[in-house]
Amino acid sequence: MFTATLRGMLAHKLRVILTTISIALGVAFVAGTLILTDTTQSAFDQLFGRASSGTDAVVRHEVAYAATAGVGLTRAPTPAGTLDKVRHVHGVAAAEGIVTGYALITDTEGKAVIASGGAPAVGYTMPDDVTLRGSVHLLTGHAPTGAHEVAIDATSAASHHIPLGANIRLLFRGPAAKFTVVGTVGFGNEKDFGGTTSAYFAPATAQRVLGAPGLVDQIEVRSDGTITDAVLAERIGKVLPHGLEAVTGATLAKESSQAIKNQFAFLSVLFLTFAGVALFVGSFIIWNTFTMIVSQRTREIALTRAIGASRRQVIGNLLAEAGLLGVVASAVGVGLGVLVAKGLNNLMAVLGFFKLPSASTQVQPRTIWVSMIVGTLVTVVAALVPARRATKVLPIQALREATPGAKAPSRFRAVAGALLVSGGVAGILDGLYGGGGDAPVFLGMLASVVGVLTLAPVVVRPLASVIGAPLRLRGVAGDLARQNALRNPRRTASTASALMIGLTLVVAMGVFGSSLKASFATILHDSTNADLYVTAAGNQGGPFSPDVEQLVRSVPGVAVASATGAGEARFDGTSAAYSSVDPSTVQRALNLKVTSGSAAALGTDGVMVKGAVAKEKGWHVGDRVPVEFAATGSHSFTIRAVYDGTGFLDGDFAISLAAEEANVPNRLETSVLVMLDDGADQGTVKSAIAATLATHPDAEVLDRKEYAKAVGGIIDSLLALVTVMLLLSVVIALLGIVNTLALSVHERTREVGLLRAVGMTTAQVRSMVRWESVVISLIGALVGAGLGLGLGAALAQVLKGQGITEVAVPGVNIGIYVVAAAVAGVVAAVGPGRAAARVDVLKAVVTD
Amino acid sequence: MTTTTATAIGPGQAPIGTVAARALGVSKVYGRGDATVRALDDVSASLYAGQFTAIMGPSGSGKSTLLHVLAGLDRPTSGSVHVGDVDLTSLNDRQLTMLRRDEIGFIFQSFNLLPTLTAAENIELPIRIAGRKPDALWIRSIVELVGLGDRLRHRPAELSGGQQQRVAAARALASKPQIVFADEPTGALDSRSGADLLGFLQRAVRTGGQTVVMVTHDPVAASYADRVLFLADGHIVDEMSDPTADTVFDYMKHLGG
Repeated sequence: MFTATLRGMLAHKLRVILTTISIALGVAFVAGTLILTDTTQSAFDQLFGRASSGTDAVVRHEVAYAATAGVGLTRAPTPAGTLDKVRHVHGVAAAEGIVTGYALITDTEGKAVIASGGAPAVGYTMPDDVTLRGSVHLLTGHAPTGAHEVAIDATSAASHHIPLGANIRLLFRGPAAKFTVVGTVGFGNEKDFGGTTSAYFAPATAQRVLGAPGLVDQIEVRSDGTITDAVLAERIGKVLPHGLEAVTGATLAKESSQAIKNQFAFLSVLFLTFAGVALFVGSFIIWNTFTMIVSQRTREIALTRAIGASRRQVIGNLLAEAGLLGVVASAVGVGLGVLVAKGLNNLMAVLGFFKLPSASTQVQPRTIWVSMIVGTLVTVVAALVPARRATKVLPIQALREATPGAKAPSRFRAVAGALLVSGGVAGILDGLYGGGGDAPVFLGMLASVVGVLTLAPVVVRPLASVIGAPLRLRGVAGDLARQNALRNPRRTASTASALMIGLTLVVAMGVFGSSLKASFATILHDSTNADLYVTAAGNQGGPFSPDVEQLVRSVPGVAVASATGAGEARFDGTSAAYSSVDPSTVQRALNLKVTSGSAAALGTDGVMVKGAVAKEKGWHVGDRVPVEFAATGSHSFTIRAVYDGTGFLDGDFAISLAAEEANVPNRLETSVLVMLDDGADQGTVKSAIAATLATHPDAEVLDRKEYAKAVGGIIDSLLALVTVMLLLSVVIALLGIVNTLALSVHERTREVGLLRAVGMTTAQVRSMVRWESVVISLIGALVGAGLGLGLGAALAQVLKGQGITEVAVPGVNIGIYVVAAAVAGVVAAVGPGRAAARVDVLKAVVTD
Repeated sequence: MTTTTATAIGPGQAPIGTVAARALGVSKVYGRGDATVRALDDVSASLYAGQFTAIMGPSGSGKSTLLHVLAGLDRPTSGSVHVGDVDLTSLNDRQLTMLRRDEIGFIFQSFNLLPTLTAAENIELPIRIAGRKPDALWIRSIVELVGLGDRLRHRPAELSGGQQQRVAAARALASKPQIVFADEPTGALDSRSGADLLGFLQRAVRTGGQTVVMVTHDPVAASYADRVLFLADGHIVDEMSDPTADTVFDYMKHLGG
């Protein structure tokens, strides 16, 4: 039996190739994601491992809880005096106090050196002990020693043409200062540290500019080699005052690496989601292929049944074919996965999200077997239904001259589909307007999609009639194309469904993104009273020094300069994002919609809570809430205000800038809202602020329109990422169209031959196939666009509470997608159309 | 085109006595070397306008190949073929297609109809392929002639084999071709349906002035023709005018078919 399987596959090369590609692409995405994830992890492991390779133990302040916030995890500083104690521990060869902090490099023209993808700008102490420097080494020049010397990473130096000896300004949390570049630094083989910009200072200088004199962030220790690192850490721990801890260098490296990895984890989830979509779309093509295989082989199957094959053997044979196809395709997919991983990495870099440190591509055994199993399983499962249908072939059918008939979709399908769709819509409406909450909305969305997929074969006839109506103008070729598309509604439906899914998602994301964009302008308008906004330059860099606020306030014409920051703390035991605000001005600058209490009363131990959270927790103004900061531990805060204003502020909690200052070392600010004096000219003030900020290239001033546009730009690049990912599914769907057309042409060889005999030109034959393809694509595209519109709008509506204020439809984009789908249909028809035009008239028509 | 007589019968027909199609020294060779098969070997023949010609011969005699070559469905290895005054061997694929569409009607043994189209749509197919409007009056007269009046809205699957072949015949005539080629048109029919179809073709020739060329191996079918050409081993070996089933049958026995 298996030989027959192999022969059967080889006999239909095109079909096998197309199906293989459609599975392989999905698997490649899975494998690529896993490879990229592993490569990223390995890259960061290596980076941090090498960086701390010379450090055997670290002394640092304990934190109240290990926040997942990542690299910049804020710990309280350690007194430099502890150094002496540590140095006297037996087994310590060297110990140095290290300070880390915000340090933005500017170039010789005063422009900020901003790392791509929002990587931080960090300043460090350069240890005197060469071993403690780990992989950090000087590529040119010498280590900084004086109070005005700095060494910078080689990437920054090269990209901004900063030569040795250059006199450049560095921006800190505190006052900026001028430094002479005395060296460039490399990190192992890398020229930068995972995309960040790095500035190195002599120990005393670092304390002054990055932290505070007499305080260090941690103490790095080199062992004399007589004891293990663990023992070393233990010995040091014994001499430390309460509140400090000693850990091994390896622990530190692992923690740092893990923190970064957590930040990238969402990307793996995101990519795997797209991989899932691609596989789902691919499964439609597999389903189609096997349905065709079964219908074409009806006589062959009947013959094997007639000569004694059991039903079990028939289904086993087909599933073996599916399994073989799955294994081969998955193997191809794993191979392609390496390319996909590289492609995704480049895509991220191009779209400005992040740049990975280079590392050898990691293809783990786990990647291979997961991809193989997933790909094979999807293939076999998708082939299951058609294979079961094959068992219904009766032996007698071997004797009949039966053309594979297209069964009309069942009534059950129509009813089930209609019920699902109407139930789904009802759920969405109930959730949105009937107060049913979010759950019915999401369930309703799912039900609608499943319902539409179920209903597809039923509605494909009327749809094709409508969509194909203009084809009358194309004469008989167009007419036949429309009828051919209608001939096998199930096949047309499943082919179109594959495309539909891709378009549904692309359009839904488009609607969601546009709504987000449109909403942001409204949010700015509704939720802030500011005339001007000072934000991170180019929306790329991180937050900036609180000095910026002072500078802006001093500009003539500025009435109010209200700064905001953001961070993470534990409120009532749960980690949550908070905003920090200026209590005296925040209610003027923002429409906070305070329902009770006042933001002005925040003080250093007050918290302002969103109405929804307060309601849920039963909190009222005057209640006390435990708030825990990583650096300073637990405090009892008092609720001073409850507010409903959505939009501008992050999170459900707000504290004062002063409270943040007291609990978060080296806090930074993210924006300054500027209100003008009466009669001040906005343009003039804006120019004045811009001029003042010349010394702070990490911040820029924007008016409302510019700010909304800048945020829109970020949403756009996110959307671009999502769209590119989803396009893969669309490509797979197009392969499905090629597959279906190729099979249709194959099935209709005799018809094509007859048409050619009675005078249809090859051009007309090609046009007939082309229009059939366009009808199928348009069904998929239009249903997908419609469904996507609905789902996107529903999604935007659900998130109304979270800041989305209006639903916007990117009509032009959707139009482009639909037209592109039609064009893609034309392209998909090229091959099958050629095949149809090549049909040998005589062989097709003459009965021997 | 040597002789011309002035009596034109029926729309678009060539005058009686004219040569409607002609093969001149036509050979058709399949394969190469030892495997060479000469399906046609230097065949010359003229088919006259307004006549019902049958081509007969035992299987393997090359009769179907001759029909295909004459109808522009296949190209001869050597020699020339004319339909009307057009030399088919000088035409490219597109020109040949146009010629089939506009000047030639076909009836095959089976699979003559597109399953998605109704009988009426199948009949009008070549005209619609050409992008022309069907001549309603003419179509109606053909439909009446083949007796399909009440079946026009049916699809092929809902028609009997005989009805399907009559639809095919109607289609072959619908575009008013110069010449209709029929390849074993009754081969898949019972004798009664076959007789109906042959009677219809005969009427189209006798009263409509149509030119019909039919390949058959059935002496009864051949007896409907005005003239029979006998083929054996790729050569035209004889011809017979006003045949009857008996005379054809006898001759065929003599040929060893």
